Parts: sequence; C-alpha cells; structure tokens
Amino acid sequence: MTTSVAPHVSRTKTVATQGKPGLSRKQREGWAAALFLAPDVIGLTVFVGIPMILSFVLSLFQVSGFGQYDFVGFGNYQRIFADPVFMSSLRTTLIYVFVLVPGGFVVSLLLALLVKQKLPGVGFFRTAYFLPFSISIVVVALIWRFMLDEQVGVVNQFLGWFGIPPQAWLGNPNLALGTAIAVTIWVQMGYYMVILLGGLQDIPLEYYEAARIDGASAWSNFRHITWPLLKPTSFFVLLTSTVAALTGAFDMIYVLTKGGPANSTNVLIFYIYQQAFQYGEYGYAAAIGTFLVVIMLICSTAIFLTTRGGRFSYGD
Amino acid sequence: MATGISRRSLLKAGATAVGAAAVGATALAGCGKSAATSSEPLQFWNFYTPNPLRTPTSIAQGGWFDTYIADWNKKNKQQVQAVFIPNYTNTNKLQTAFAAGSGPDIFLISPGDFLRYLNGGVLMDLTPFMTKEAIADYLPGALDTRMADGKVYALPMEQEPLAIYYSEKVFEQAHLSEADLPKTWEDLLELAKKLQTPSRYGMVFEPVQGYYQNFTWYPWMWQGGGDAVGPNGQSVFDSKAAIQALQLFQDGVNRGVSPRTPVAAGDLPAGLDKGQAAMWQSGIWNVSDFRLRLPKTKYGIFRLPTPPGGRYATIAGGWAFCANKNGRNPEAAAKFCVEAVGSMSPDSVKRVADWCTVAKSDISPRKSALDLGTARGGYSSPVMKKFKDDIYPGTRGEPRYPPVIYKAISDAIQNTMLAGHKAADEAEIAAASIDAYLKSYEGAKIL
Repeated sequence: MTTSVAPHVSRTKTVATQGKPGLSRKQREGWAAALFLAPDVIGLTVFVGIPMILSFVLSLFQVSGFGQYDFVGFGNYQRIFADPVFMSSLRTTLIYVFVLVPGGFVVSLLLALLVKQKLPGVGFFRTAYFLPFSISIVVVALIWRFMLDEQVGVVNQFLGWFGIPPQAWLGNPNLALGTAIAVTIWVQMGYYMVILLGGLQDIPLEYYEAARIDGASAWSNFRHITWPLLKPTSFFVLLTSTVAALTGAFDMIYVLTKGGPANSTNVLIFYIYQQAFQYGEYGYAAAIGTFLVVIMLICSTAIFLTTRGGRFSYGD
Repeated sequence: MATGISRRSLLKAGATAVGAAAVGATALAGCGKSAATSSEPLQFWNFYTPNPLRTPTSIAQGGWFDTYIADWNKKNKQQVQAVFIPNYTNTNKLQTAFAAGSGPDIFLISPGDFLRYLNGGVLMDLTPFMTKEAIADYLPGALDTRMADGKVYALPMEQEPLAIYYSEKVFEQAHLSEADLPKTWEDLLELAKKLQTPSRYGMVFEPVQGYYQNFTWYPWMWQGGGDAVGPNGQSVFDSKAAIQALQLFQDGVNRGVSPRTPVAAGDLPAGLDKGQAAMWQSGIWNVSDFRLRLPKTKYGIFRLPTPPGGRYATIAGGWAFCANKNGRNPEAAAKFCVEAVGSMSPDSVKRVADWCTVAKSDISPRKSALDLGTARGGYSSPVMKKFKDDIYPGTRGEPRYPPVIYKAISDAIQNTMLAGHKAADEAEIAAASIDAYLKSYEGAKIL
C-alpha cells in the first residue's frame, strides 16, 4: 500500500505548485495583475475616489459650517456663473496656466539642453538648477517676498542701479500675477529639466552623428531629431505641469499674495480655499472644486488628443 | 426650496450611496462627538498662551492669562487648559474645528466673526451668569455687537480705537509741530506728500486685503455719514460717503504717499523706528508694543481727520471671551468667561484694568475697570490720555458683517485702492452684491 500512495502525494504537490487547475495562463496573469494593482486601486478609491464623490454630494448642499446641511440641488452651480469674483478667478487661472505651462516648459527645455553638454562643472549646475525644487514652497515664497519688497527688497535695489524705479511687484495688480508665475517657474524649472534631460539622453547618438556627417545645423538637429524624439517626455511634462498649475498653486499664492492685490492672483484653487475656510461656504467651495475637476479633464483630454496620448512614432 | 437636514443624515445618505464611504463618513461623524467628560479640562483656545515665542509682549500678555487660569483652577473643580493657536486670525483653525464638530469649550472671538458663530448656534448665552449691575457696567456701545435679543453672547476684554501714529523724529526734521497736524483728509494727504521720501511712505493705509483692512477703512466711511447696511436692513453702500472713503485710499496710492504692500511687514513700531513711514493708521495696542519693544522711539498720535462737512468717527475692535454651547461643560465655560472679564467681583474688575493698562494698552470696555485703570495711572501718559479723552469719544464698535458683506466691501476697497477702478462703480457693485445677500439673509441683526 505504501508504494501506491507515494506517487499520488507527489503528483498533488506538483499540481499545487503550478497553480489552480482549470485556470489558463491568461487568467493567472490577470489575477497577478489585479493583485499588483490592488494597493493603488484601493488607495485611490479610499483617498481620491470616495472623497471626490462626497465632495460632489457636498456641492449639492448649502453648509453652515456648524453641522447644518440644506439641500439646494444645483443651486451652488448656478451661483458660480453669477459670481463676478469666480469669473475673474477663472480668467486669472487660465492666464496662469497658459503662461506658466509653456513658459516653464521652454525654460526647462533650454536648461536641459544646456546641462546636457559635456562641459566642466556641469554637475554643479544641474544640482544648482534643481535645488529650488528641493526647498519647501513656503520657504521659497517667503524668501522671494522679502527679495521683492518694494522698500528694502534686493530686486528693486538691483534695478535701482540701472535707474529703474522701485516696483510693487506683489502690490500692483498688473505685475503680481506675472511675478508669481516667474517665481513658480524658478522653483519648478529644475524638476522638469531633470525629466527632459532624461528624455534627451534617451535619444540615440547615432542620429546626431548621421546629421553631423550630412552637415545639418544645430537648429536642424533640434527640429528634426531632438524635438520629434522628445515628444513622449514633453507630453508627460506638459500634462503634469498643467495639472500642477491648476491644483498646486495654492501654497505659493497663499504666501506670496494671498490672492491679492485686488484679486489679481486669486486662482481658482485659492478661491476654493477662501470660500471654504474663510467664509465657511463649504457647499459652494465643493461646487467650484467639481468645476475645477471638469476643467482639468478638458485640459487633459485636449493634451491627450493633440498628442495622441503620448504615443509617437519617429516619423511624427 | 431648501430642505434642512442634519450632518448625520447627510453622512448617512452619502454612506448608503457610496458604500465603502460609510466607514469614513461614520468615522468623521464620530470626530464631532467629544468623548471627553466634564472631569477633563475645558479647552480654551487663544493666541496668547502658552506662547512658545518668549518676547516681552508675549510674556506680559500670556502671563495675564496664565495667572487667571491658575487662579480659576485653584478655586474650581472644573479645570481649564489653555491651548495656543498660532496665527489665530488667519489659519481658520477655529472655524474648521467647529465645522468638524470639535470646537473648543472656550475661545476668543472678534466682532467680525461674531455673527457667523451666533447664527451657527454655538455661542452660549452668558446673560444668566451675569448680574444686571455687571451688564450695566459696560460702556455705551461696548456690548452692542456681542448681543442679540437682549442676551449677551460674548464678553469683550478690551476696546481698541484707531488713530494715526506719526514719527516725532520725522516731524522734527521737517520742522513741523503739533499745530501742523492735519484736520481734513486733504490736509492729511498733503502732509504725507511733504514727508514722503524715496525710502519712506508719507501715510500708511492698510493695503492687504482682509478683515483688518476693512476694519481700518470703516471709520472713513462713517465720517461722511455712510454705512454698509441701512436701518431697514437694506444696502446703503452706494452712498457719497462710501465713495469718497474709497477715493481717499485710492488717492493715497495714486499720489504715491501710501504703499501697495505692507511696510516693515506690517510692524508699525519697527516701521516708524526705522523711518520707513511718517504716519500710519493703527490702533491703541501699539502703545504697549512701543513701551515693551521700542521704549526710546519718539512718536505721537492724532485723531483721524475728517472730510469736508464730515463728523469725527473712529472704530474700536477688540477680542471677547465666549463659550461653546455644545462643549463639554457649557455652564462652567460660561462662568469662566464671566469671572474672567464680566463679573463685578473685585478680582474681575482688576483683571480687566490690568489687561487694558498693564499687560496691554487698551480702553477698558467697563466703567469700573476704566476708573480703576485711570486711578492707578494707566491713562496718565500723554498718548494713553489722548486715546482715552480725545480719540475714544466718537468711537463705534467694529461691525459684525457676515462674510458675503465683508467680501463685497473688501473687493470694492481693493479694486479702487490698488487696481485703479472708479470708486462710484465699485460702490455700486458692492451695494448690489450686499442687497442680493440681504434678501435671503436669516439671522441676528446685522450691526
């Protein structure tokens, strides 16, 4: 009897180590994929998905801030379009995004092209350009606020050497938004420079060598080799910087200008904060938040469509 | 039509709809219920103690609170614990705590915030814990903005009227004397122009958008007889008085004598001391700041000038004690507030006098404490005497405007002062916005 049992046990062990009987290879891979994805999916559901749904539900209520919720349907959404400060804030946000994103991209790309060169001390410059990004935004904004001070700031003192009168960089509505954008580009340029540098270094050198043999100019190199092959990286940079511009401007604006002067830097994300945490209008703030999500979806979709989802062929 | 439901109902509905959200929502609801019992110390949120910054000012003012809390804890079973909230006025932590159902038991409140908390139903009625004599002890107008339907909901610890500070050093350099102090708005701006240099502003009006800027602007509007809300509850903001007050702030900036951004990071004593400003509109609290930080700096004060045909007016803000009706032990919290600054006991009267003349520099909101402070010499210095006898008479309490009204006025001030918009247009826009809000407003009277 013992001789007849041993082969049976051995066969069972073999089956157990190979997986469940009846599951195809594709199904097993599906299970594995699901298990690998589960932590992210659960995390996103709990910390992003459910709060988004609750936020939308909240936008259908007028909230007192003291525990009383009055159902108003889409009243908060109707209020949005009758609110002149919201419309001004939307305009400010669009200017902010459409100047910051391309501006930041161009500066970062120029830096990436610069630090890609094999020059002495290039490692120092790479570090120096990246350094602002490693500092807290609040600290950066505070330092810039001091430097931009109208009376004692170093920026005006420097300009004074060239006979330029002192400017209220953060107190003049015509200058404040541009100043905030410039400071933000200064903070972010190192981060996007590193990403673009990675993209540049992925481009095979053979293309440049062939172009050199053909006598191509530097501009032709950039136009016909660098730019097309950098498109996937550019797509990533444009997408993430657009989302960051729409949602990540709060701390910089809060410290630099608090949305002022005269609401000139009051971007939507800051206006949401004001409505919720300064005026206690949680329902209205949630409605503007939902509106902002819609804007982000439109922007993301537009970028996906114009770049075909970042999938580029070398012929593009 | 709006249907009122409770927060719990909303969370329950959300939980049903979202499924897994129920766990989070129930947990959130649970945060609102304090598990504490009355045997635990009551939380007293404030911005004075225990202050980690050990400056002369914070030691003097925090010490006043520490002494009272220690005295209360010695005499009462229900203990009180101070909780220091940094940047109390700007961080909105108090409001967020109430929104989450976990507001403190005792807290300090400014007039600008009062109505929101009163209408939110979280303020404890302090009247049953006060004597009629104590209520009558408050100076005329000192309690008005903290009352509703004859009941007292917060007890002011101070009154802080605004005046204009000036640097005596700058005046001396310009060969000016007290006789040259401006009486009218035009005089003020002309004098500011004389005192202006490339590194010094002639006259500082508050430039930063916020409750404080509105606070400093209201008296200029009142001087011309204007207001934001009329006696019948309608907007009267598009008045000549409001327009000329908006124009005053714009003229200051347009003539280059007033700043667009804070001077000396908003620190008046430092700004005058360093010569960054010649004149500056601010409150009585700076007297103790000068005394404790820069006692050698020479400065003077004068009344806010008036417009042609106008009548002198200034404003007095000030913080008040109040108790959370839904806190752990509301009765004890109310008694704590009353004994602190609203009782006729000698300790309470002395405490108010101490706060207004020793720890800080304020006008006492109570006659008994004002008399005591005066008798002890608290108002004998030239500056404090001038505040008490010349500047304080004609004071109106800080209005308790809800956020929508505050914001409409704030936008009008900012847009005229810094963006160069026409004052009349901005007054009209603000008036329309205020009117739209007042039509659906329900709550205590807006003062």
